[in-house]
Amino acid sequence: MDLEGYPKYLPLKGEEQVIIRPLKATDEAGLLDFFSVLPEQDRLFLREDVTRPEVIQGFVQNIDFDSVMPLLAEHEGKIVGDATLHLTRHGWTRHVGQIRMVVARKFQHRGLGTAMARCLVRHAVSLGLDKLLAEVVDNQIAAKRAFEKLGFKQEAVLRNQVRDIHGVKRNLVILSNDVSHIWETMEAMVADFSPTYGG
Amino acid sequence: MAKTEIRIGGLGGQGVILSGIIIGKAASIYDGKHSTLIQAFGPEARGSACSAQVMIDDNAIGYPYVKTPDILVVMSSAAYTQFVPELGDSGMLLYEEELVDPKDLPAGVKTYGIPATRIAEELGRRLVLNIVMVGFFAGVTGILSPKAVEKAVLASVPRGTEDLNLKAFKRGFEHGESLVKGN
Repeated sequence: MDLEGYPKYLPLKGEEQVIIRPLKATDEAGLLDFFSVLPEQDRLFLREDVTRPEVIQGFVQNIDFDSVMPLLAEHEGKIVGDATLHLTRHGWTRHVGQIRMVVARKFQHRGLGTAMARCLVRHAVSLGLDKLLAEVVDNQIAAKRAFEKLGFKQEAVLRNQVRDIHGVKRNLVILSNDVSHIWETMEAMVADFSPTYGG
Repeated sequence: MAKTEIRIGGLGGQGVILSGIIIGKAASIYDGKHSTLIQAFGPEARGSACSAQVMIDDNAIGYPYVKTPDILVVMSSAAYTQFVPELGDSGMLLYEEELVDPKDLPAGVKTYGIPATRIAEELGRRLVLNIVMVGFFAGVTGILSPKAVEKAVLASVPRGTEDLNLKAFKRGFEHGESLVKGN
């Protein structure tokens, strides 16, 4: 798949710069390092046990941008963020994509998550998707805000859906972003119809 | 460049008029030529016949109506039937190859087909069929610089849709260019 526009260089507060780029087959060691040092609290909400080398090996050996678009944030040669857009290429939800993201603690609250999510929203629109989903736990206020800044709204709450590091059950918030409106203007433009025609 | 008369025909909802606007904009604003556009459409939003007449010239254009198109772009069978009699003996026909079946054309007419609707669907949005067609037009005819057409596409489509429209333009352009090189 053609991935124009990458790498992107993102300046952060404090004159630091982060590179945002797609995952490469050579990222196995870097990705394992990144996930290994994530606090357990942050890892708990991930779908797979990313501290297992074979899981990471699976990620880098099965890169398929038609199914998952993985973006990494890199700072001084180290991976500091991972964001993915999951696609369903067949079936009744093929117009829907899901964004998942994890950012190193040191780089949270600095706009990195928003920037990575923005890249994925833009990519989703360029693929013609209509709707995006993201899941956050109800106490992940900053992550929820980051998604809301990009147009996501709370669509559902699954009560007591996840259990945190202390064994406390928490609500899972499903956020959605209907990006189909972006195409409404285009639809009007290609209608080949003048509202003033005939009167 | 001598005056080039272009007729674009199709159905409402295919973006025929927008194609004409983009080609005219590319010629006049980004390639420094003169251009005019005449548009015609039925009263229904979708499915009715519509067409655009685009004139491009290095000099000022005194008469904007297309009489004998040098280039006919058709995106529907009905448009082909309606407009092909106007095409000059040495004209050029660009057509949506899964919707139009060109036949009985004068020997001098050059024909180039593209599955524009299928390409647009592969890209994720059938809506961008007209942009695929604009790219195809640019790739086959070579009368406008690709950069000018690309800029005109980006300046004409809604914000947020630029990336997909640009992909559509490139797919159409590459398809057109490959057909010309293959001939």
